[in-house]
Amino acid sequence: MSSDDTIGFALTDHFGRRVTETSFPGRHSVVFFGFTHCRTVCPRALDRLDAALDLLGEDAAAFQPLYITVDPERDDAARMRAYLDDRPRVLGLTGSPEDLEAARRAFHAFARRKPDPHEPDGYAVPHTALLFVLDDAGRRVAHLGDAATADELADVLRGVVR
Amino acid sequence: MTLTVAEFADRVEGYRREGVDALQLGHIRHIDNLSRRLPNDWSGMDSRSNGQDDFASLRYQLAYAAFALAVAHRYRLPAAPGVFKGTFDRLIQKMLLPEVWMYWRDTSSGNAVFNAHLPMESEWDPVRRDNIMYSAYVQVMSLLYAYLFEDDRYARPGALSFEHWSFSWGGEGHRFEYDQDSLNELIYWKMIESGFIGVACEPNCVFQICNQIPLLGFRLHDLLTGGRRAEEVERGYRKAWDDFGRVDAQGRYNLLVLEDSKQLLTNDASEVWGDAWAGTVLNMLNRDLVRERYPEQIRALLIGGPDDTLTIRPLSPTSLFGHSLFEDHGDFGWAAAWAAEVGDSATRDRLLRYADARLAPTWSDGGLFYPRHDASTDADGFHRLVDPLTGNALLAFARLDIPDGLWGLYHLPIEPELRRSPALVEVDPDVAVTRAFIGEEGELSATVSATGRGSGRARIGRLPRNGWVLERGGRIVARSSESTPDVLDPAVGVDGPELIVQPRTAEEGYVLHVQ
Repeated sequence: MSSDDTIGFALTDHFGRRVTETSFPGRHSVVFFGFTHCRTVCPRALDRLDAALDLLGEDAAAFQPLYITVDPERDDAARMRAYLDDRPRVLGLTGSPEDLEAARRAFHAFARRKPDPHEPDGYAVPHTALLFVLDDAGRRVAHLGDAATADELADVLRGVVR
Repeated sequence: MTLTVAEFADRVEGYRREGVDALQLGHIRHIDNLSRRLPNDWSGMDSRSNGQDDFASLRYQLAYAAFALAVAHRYRLPAAPGVFKGTFDRLIQKMLLPEVWMYWRDTSSGNAVFNAHLPMESEWDPVRRDNIMYSAYVQVMSLLYAYLFEDDRYARPGALSFEHWSFSWGGEGHRFEYDQDSLNELIYWKMIESGFIGVACEPNCVFQICNQIPLLGFRLHDLLTGGRRAEEVERGYRKAWDDFGRVDAQGRYNLLVLEDSKQLLTNDASEVWGDAWAGTVLNMLNRDLVRERYPEQIRALLIGGPDDTLTIRPLSPTSLFGHSLFEDHGDFGWAAAWAAEVGDSATRDRLLRYADARLAPTWSDGGLFYPRHDASTDADGFHRLVDPLTGNALLAFARLDIPDGLWGLYHLPIEPELRRSPALVEVDPDVAVTRAFIGEEGELSATVSATGRGSGRARIGRLPRNGWVLERGGRIVARSSESTPDVLDPAVGVDGPELIVQPRTAEEGYVLHVQ
């Protein structure tokens, strides 16, 4: 995947609407993967994204955060809506296992269900913790690892809109 | 004991002043000799197995010969890029020849012990899917070349192309175009797709060893471009393997994980290469673990040889499913390389003394190597086998590396002032350079001699604009201020912005003082 590649996906948001890479004209998408039973990585990523968007002030409106589930068995639209209830800026995306697999492939994202007796339902889904920024045509313009701080993420996002 | 970059830099300084001895020079020359062979002349490099199947195959010889050159240049002859650049480039060109990578057309089709149950199709492109046992070495060799020599030839589109066409078969042929950036990008995303556990070598087989190599590639790419991918991937890779387990219950490095079942395969207790190869390259990124495991691991793998030497147990032919398996793994060479990298000089030296006494060291065209020998034992029952990876590349690496040399390639960037300082930028093949470093006053100190008919030349470039004085044996032979250079010796010439010296047979010490 090179920096000028277009990443296509077709999923359903947590209000039941169809969402693709071109659904947000004039805005950038900030895409990351996770699952609502995730105990550490996802809450941390969501907190960091919230903090970064707060740092952006009015510029935050230029971004639409998209949280794509890697756990279609449990994360239906209702479950994602409830999970993201206190994070109104973020749209949860789900879909059929096939559509979600296609989205993961498009982003080169890793996710694999792994038995874990300490987790609810006896499994977890370790996954890629990268965050991708797409323009409104679906072209990837940036990506960051989960080591980046909220300040660093905010800097990247500022750079994207300037 | 943790090593800091500053401590390592101090260590390097000492080696730079020492230069290379006759044996080290011989290894460098042998690698150069191999690099100058005509295309598809692999004499002295063929291993016992068919179709580049084993761990001594051409790709490993070329790659670890390049690593030997890299550590020799960085730590022993830093002001002599001209000794190494052409050789390094020719090794990369050989790496791109179909004979080196065409095994992938067959290996990718599966039907091997660990992937026969998986449906898969034959693939021509040798880097697109799996095969990190080749792609990572092309990635690292091209990026090392760019970083060491500040030459972007492999950054040009299509500069790393894998091309095959035959008059006799195969239709229109195949051509797959990459460059150092696109190949690095491809491997980066494959690492991410894998959850950082790594990319498979043979389909379904993710080796811990081979996935160390692309991390060095990411680091070099970061150094060239200002990126931070190495840090990101290293963190993910470390966590992924920590979760699976780097070492088995016996304290030996796990070899590989099967991609589909996530089953870990441990090391065969009778073979040296697993721990030795893993320990050598793992030192780059997980030095503390390597230091912790090394004493116990190597104690179990080496035995005493004659005259206070060390060696390995004779290697027995392997039988699998009723077939005799003739495969080389570079066991002896990896043992020596491992000891060198972890700084166990006593063990390295005892292994090298064994090699010099019993593995038929051979000089040819000024080069030193240990010829392939297939018999397991000598008349005394000691280890005698020499595979071409050991004989051409690994013993060279062991002799040229310094303690933590690979660690340093990863962690210690080249000093900007070294890149700006005078250097031997071109060296004819019949000129020997045994010292080339930059002194405290910024002066170039070099020791050179002619090895052939005495007509070879060395070119000193990156001369300071404010003037310089060139001395040979303490006597001024050329100088320049702001006016035209003044040449006082017939063995010295000026060619544009560079100086040319024609060494004599005896070693001569040149010093170029910066004004």
